[in-house]
Amino acid sequence: MSGLSVPSWGEVAASLLLVALAAALAWRQRLHLTRDLIIASVRAGVQLVAVGAVLLVVFAHTGPPGAFGWVAVMVGIAGQVAGRRGAGLPRARWAATAAVATSTLITLGALLALGVIPTQPRVVVPVGGMIVSGAMQAAGVALRRLREDTHTARPAIEARLCLGLPAREAFLPHQRSALRTALLPAIDSTKVVGLISLPGTMTGLILAGVDPLTAIRYQIVVMYMLLAATALAALGSARLAEHALFDHAHRLAPLPEPQTGVFP
Amino acid sequence: MTGARGFLLDRVTVTHGPARLLDGVCVHLAAGRCTAVVGPSGAGKSTLLRLLNRLAEPSTGRILLDSVPLTELDVLVLRRRVGLIAQRPVLLTDRVADELRVGHPQLTGPRIRDLLQRVGLPTSLAERRTSELSGGEAQRVCVARALAVEPEVLLLDEPTSALDPVSASVIAGLARAHTADGRTVVLVSHDLTVVRGIADQVLVLDHGHLVATGHPDQTDYVQAR
Repeated sequence: MSGLSVPSWGEVAASLLLVALAAALAWRQRLHLTRDLIIASVRAGVQLVAVGAVLLVVFAHTGPPGAFGWVAVMVGIAGQVAGRRGAGLPRARWAATAAVATSTLITLGALLALGVIPTQPRVVVPVGGMIVSGAMQAAGVALRRLREDTHTARPAIEARLCLGLPAREAFLPHQRSALRTALLPAIDSTKVVGLISLPGTMTGLILAGVDPLTAIRYQIVVMYMLLAATALAALGSARLAEHALFDHAHRLAPLPEPQTGVFP
Repeated sequence: MTGARGFLLDRVTVTHGPARLLDGVCVHLAAGRCTAVVGPSGAGKSTLLRLLNRLAEPSTGRILLDSVPLTELDVLVLRRRVGLIAQRPVLLTDRVADELRVGHPQLTGPRIRDLLQRVGLPTSLAERRTSELSGGEAQRVCVARALAVEPEVLLLDEPTSALDPVSASVIAGLARAHTADGRTVVLVSHDLTVVRGIADQVLVLDHGHLVATGHPDQTDYVQAR
């Protein structure tokens, strides 16, 4: 770690010049994004300072319970965010939160149980964050796709139900399609890792002075755990959504018209 | 009316928010007969049909099939006994033969050819891609798909509204043949020529109320149009 080179607060402030450059470009091009850009930059800075301060306390004083508490908070927030993607599906937030929690528990639990990572807070929190983030994206995509499919494919689902098929079989083609949509980005990024972009974990370790052959070991673990987290979260949210969509008489619940326009 | 075969609707009301889609409907749909449900748009005709295979549920009241409340029957068995054919054809697979196997995966080749003949389609259609079918062919394939599970009751929701005359006449013929075999047909239709041709009994719905029942020849709604 002797090569560790971290910018000072003065140098961080200097990097604001780049924000000013982007804001000037946006203003010059009349994109009406200058205000948003400045707010986003300030917000990101404030959020990261606050998170850094809290993590300092967690790492120094709370030990593993604090780290797992932090991961639990992340799961709660991620469940709400992913649940919003499926707004209109019954109990979407509950499904998303349960799926993200289960996926995180299994993935992080396996890494800890196998001794791949230690229980130190400075490892559990960032690794847990990556797992929760991957699970959140997968659950959100799966729920959004299910909501859209369920709305447009109601006649097809009901046609299968009318032939005496149970809800699970009637819904299966649409569930598969949603799962494929949710999993393909993680599979694609795994395929091209290192070729198109240097992934975050590896980049961070290299910046921190770790040699590349050591850094990739962590990155490989991260990629594999993200595949597991993504698959578990997508499958879990889809199965829970299916339970909420059909009643005991294998009837599809009525859904509100999907909102159109900007991705929420 | 206990012991009666067929459907018995006992003070059936269906509400959706403040709207009453059906309001206190009491009627017997006799087994082995073709009952046509007629009335203006929004009268509750399709809702009534969906109640009979439990795609919808009454808010109050009850429905019996052969004197057994629908809620006491296995819903998956009920839906195989009571087949519903929707107004617009919905195809679920890529090939016609696969389409007929959706509800009956063990369906044999000869049975597929027999079903296609029953709906007036050439047997060579079995290997055709469903995306290549015309609207009339698609609707007839949907009817064959429903017949593949050998339902006792056929529910037809505006089955001829978007069809060419040949397809419409084939489906009307099938409904007649179904009742001739002692089985039951319940038909929703705006086409009163079809109703006069095949129905034994007419129910007239208006704003969710059952306003008349009787033979098509003696029902003002059918005769006046």
